[in-house]
Amino acid sequence: MKGSVDVGQLTEMLTQIISYTSIYALASLGIVIGGRTGVFNISGEGIMLASASAGFIAAYQTGSWFMGFVVGALMGGLFALILIYIHEKLKISQFILGITLVILGTGLSDLLYKTAIGVQLFAPEAPRVPDIRIPGLSNIPIISAIFNQDVIVYFTYIAVFIAFYIFYHTRIGLETRAIGEDPKAADVVGINVKLRRYVTTIIGGMFMGLAGAYLPLVVTGTYTTNISNGRGFMAIGIAIFASWRPERALLGSFIFAAIEVISFQQQLGASMFPYQFLLMLPFISVLLIMWLFNKKVEFPAALGKPYSRE
Amino acid sequence: MAVEEKTIEENSNWQKFWNGFKPYILALVIAFGISGAIIGILGYNIPKAYQTLLFTSFSSQRGFVETLKKFIPLTFATYAFAIPFRIKFFNIGGWGQMLFGGTITAIVGIGLAGLNLPAIIFIPILILSAMLAGALFALIAGFLKAYYNINPIISTIMLNFIAFYFVNFVATNAPWKAPQSGHPMTLKLPEAALLPKVFNQIHFGIVLVILAIIAIYYLMNKTVLGYEIKATGINPDASSVYGIKMKKTLMITFLIAGAMGGLGGGIEVMGVHSRLIEGFALTSGAQYGIFGILTALICQGKPLGVPLSAMFISILLVGADAMQRTLQVPVELVFLTQAIIVLMIVVLRRQAGGSYIE
Repeated sequence: MKGSVDVGQLTEMLTQIISYTSIYALASLGIVIGGRTGVFNISGEGIMLASASAGFIAAYQTGSWFMGFVVGALMGGLFALILIYIHEKLKISQFILGITLVILGTGLSDLLYKTAIGVQLFAPEAPRVPDIRIPGLSNIPIISAIFNQDVIVYFTYIAVFIAFYIFYHTRIGLETRAIGEDPKAADVVGINVKLRRYVTTIIGGMFMGLAGAYLPLVVTGTYTTNISNGRGFMAIGIAIFASWRPERALLGSFIFAAIEVISFQQQLGASMFPYQFLLMLPFISVLLIMWLFNKKVEFPAALGKPYSRE
Repeated sequence: MAVEEKTIEENSNWQKFWNGFKPYILALVIAFGISGAIIGILGYNIPKAYQTLLFTSFSSQRGFVETLKKFIPLTFATYAFAIPFRIKFFNIGGWGQMLFGGTITAIVGIGLAGLNLPAIIFIPILILSAMLAGALFALIAGFLKAYYNINPIISTIMLNFIAFYFVNFVATNAPWKAPQSGHPMTLKLPEAALLPKVFNQIHFGIVLVILAIIAIYYLMNKTVLGYEIKATGINPDASSVYGIKMKKTLMITFLIAGAMGGLGGGIEVMGVHSRLIEGFALTSGAQYGIFGILTALICQGKPLGVPLSAMFISILLVGADAMQRTLQVPVELVFLTQAIIVLMIVVLRRQAGGSYIE
């Protein structure tokens, strides 16, 4: 009998890990997509916070979880637009702009929430995001964790697959990747570098916005201050771990999510191994990976660099 | 003829002076305009809000002491970003270096508690531990950049989180943990380890920060090392021709930056909280290390600009806290204002042909 209980617990834990994977996967996919044209958007933390707040408010006011994600994505797109517009116009460092946007998002998130909803006796609850249970598959223990999830998790699977397919199996993807490697060469062969940088950065920002909206709408059910808790920064680590490949970003996200969920459970139970070191692991591993596999971690060559035609 | 020439020269000097200041003034006008509009839209009293935001620091002695209390850690956090920024490297890790410095200070302070050291020995030991801890922690990023070409932005962000969880570990585990505390915190440091008060008002950190301002100014302007840092910042290729070792300079800037951050953290532990407590380097809900980046960007990381800029941001932070207390204007508005100020300064300076910050 004991064995079957363990399988049930394991399935439950895996279900949670896969749900958390979505947060990291959406956010890091956003960084990967923008990075492929050389735009390194490190403002994910700010975007996620602002989108979490705006998305939650929208969902709460309209009663529609879908509107929450739409508004979250739009907020992310807006942040990305600010970044790419100023960068393209004036060639100001993406990193300076990114870090400033982090602060902007941090301030904006609580400001919006306090203004729109204010302090309430009971934490307002977000409308539920529907689950989809794939018939049959969702009844098999363990495997069911993948097929018994909310809509956004399935959306994440699809988004990662589409990004992978576009980048590695279409001409448009090849051209876009070329911009991240050598914008000048891409320009010479007639690719509209500026346009693609705008498009990928904004789409990337929208993905980060979705990741932000996912937090209050699915993970916690309500908005709290600093809801993102550094996950926007972790997503940068995942993008590096993934060498800017969407499918590897999904894998990296799964690992980060697993560590988060496992350490959360360790925190609840008494364990000999301090959970803080478990929580440090993802960050230490990003450093170790970059250090030990220095040559193997591939960056788009033009990442973070401005491009102007002269 | 001669007189006329002189006037022209004077004019152009004024012109230069004005051109230098114009971006700052415009940025302030725009940022305060936007935040004023938000305050108005939210239905608060705009003049009253501005008055509170800008003048709380000067309206009472308490307000001024509060401002200095924020000024001290903020200045250290700003130097942590500003010094590597002089050679165009981004130390996002001022936040982690502060946390790490503060944590080591607490560990050493609690560890040496049994020795009954006098304050005159105990405090310098802790100051050195804080600086050394921060410096070594930052050196990881400098080393990874110098020898493995790993972008310090990435490595310092990762190190921030490592430091964050390290604080939590020390504050929730024996032998450091304070018994029966809900919030993660350590035992109180012994009396001799705490910074004394100057004029019965503000802790000794104010003296340390002034010493640091003088030391950094001296270092940057009067020493060979300072010259090398500046030369490397202006043109890394040319300076290597003259025998300035890029790797060495890079690592030294991170060492100094980390020492500043670490000391800032240590001072918070020894001067403000008397113990390590989770969230000890926070102000208005965000890390000093994060504000330090903005503060440094405002003054382009110039050594003497740092204290000015840090004072300005401290005034805003104290004002924002008061604005929330008395007028219920959300404190987060000040983040927004600061982010807009920095964004505008960067944009306007760039438009005026200023530094090409890639």
